[in-house]
Amino acid sequence: METAVHKVAPSTRANASSFGCVRIYRNAALFLLMAVLYVPAAKGQAEGPVITGSAGFLYSNNDGQTSVQPILTPVVLVPLGSHLLVETSAQLQGYIARSSANGPYEGQFFGTLQYLQLDWVVNSHLTVVAGRFTTPFNIYGERLGPMWLHNLQDAPLIYPIGTRTTGSSNGGMVRGVVVSRPTWLLNYTVFFSTLSEVSNLESGRAFGARTGIFLPRARLEVGTSYQRFLQDQHNDSYGAYFSWQPRSAPVDAKGEYAHSPQGHGYWIEAALRFKDSGKGGLALAKFQPVVRGQQFFRKAPGVNDFLPATDTQRVDFGLNYYPIPSVRLNASYGRQFTDARDINYWTADITYHFLFPMAFWLKESK
Amino acid sequence: MRSRSNLVVLALVAVSLVSAATSRAGRQNVNTKAAAKVDEAAEGEKRFVTNCGRCHQPPSDISPREAKAVLRQMRVRAMLSAEDERLILKYLAP
Repeated sequence: METAVHKVAPSTRANASSFGCVRIYRNAALFLLMAVLYVPAAKGQAEGPVITGSAGFLYSNNDGQTSVQPILTPVVLVPLGSHLLVETSAQLQGYIARSSANGPYEGQFFGTLQYLQLDWVVNSHLTVVAGRFTTPFNIYGERLGPMWLHNLQDAPLIYPIGTRTTGSSNGGMVRGVVVSRPTWLLNYTVFFSTLSEVSNLESGRAFGARTGIFLPRARLEVGTSYQRFLQDQHNDSYGAYFSWQPRSAPVDAKGEYAHSPQGHGYWIEAALRFKDSGKGGLALAKFQPVVRGQQFFRKAPGVNDFLPATDTQRVDFGLNYYPIPSVRLNASYGRQFTDARDINYWTADITYHFLFPMAFWLKESK
Repeated sequence: MRSRSNLVVLALVAVSLVSAATSRAGRQNVNTKAAAKVDEAAEGEKRFVTNCGRCHQPPSDISPREAKAVLRQMRVRAMLSAEDERLILKYLAP
């Protein structure tokens, strides 16, 4: 995730187990390397590895603090036979900002492994996932996480709920479709994650589940999430979400509610799809206005929970422009309200979504 | 002698008719397959709009190999069925 990277509070127990974690990840890396090396044996098949992902340059001004962030998020997909897939994504990110009000710009660069997972698609009802994967809680992290997919640059205020500690989990997950009918579909996800403090591979010990009902005719999905955090103070987080693209109007509406012992809140977002409205001609079809409102209510103080310290309301207005489908220009303005003071947020960015066959596979892919 | 030549002519006519009928059936079969392919692509577009279109637009240019890899990933993330995967592939990279 290109959103906040949440650090785990150090613990003696974790330090003692970190060497074990290193061994596990080394073995996992070796296994995946073997899997990738196996790929040439499958050259006769009509599928091969691809590299996709996004590149972006983000500008933001938060309450007068200006920063720019170049970000590259490559995703490598390696299908193995007809049921297996190795997928991995890393985020290489720079953060350049003034060290003081009138000081020079200084930069930091860092990389994080977002996921490195082996998927075994048994059938439509069951997919088994092992490795490091995006924590499945509500829909923002897993479905809207890539920067070319979310409509506004900043993550919602409640994003840290249910995605501790980093938005990624190390462990196992099963997911699939329980029932699929022409008029409705019920899906599920169940996962567990181990504690890891290995640099760039951090995760929290937790287990959780998510389920959703999708109504294709109404183009409406609603669902709920639950997570039990099993390290330090054990606690429960739960949430609900919806995603609705009504056929009667060119609107893309999404929203989430999340609750944790530290606080709860919601966000709701609507984007107008001129492209689908059939109005305004080709020029207008490339624009997408967006509005998002959100509230967070603090219930108890939290340490490193990355949630707002007090009750907070925020509203954002954005405009996306797509000169070509793979490139997006975005600008937005947001205002945040708290009892202490109100803050302005300005953002602008350009993102590019790419997709190529892997270089060593080019000859076969033609 | 005449009856033998008549039989030969009759056999030639029969072979020609069978050949023409087979050829016509083959063309019909090809046409039927092409129509089925178009139907599947149209159904794939519907399923793309219903499932994938909730988050993003269709890619402008994608090869069958690229589409297969991405669809495998989406089968996991977006929980597409095997039938969805097959039909959307027909739409994205026929």
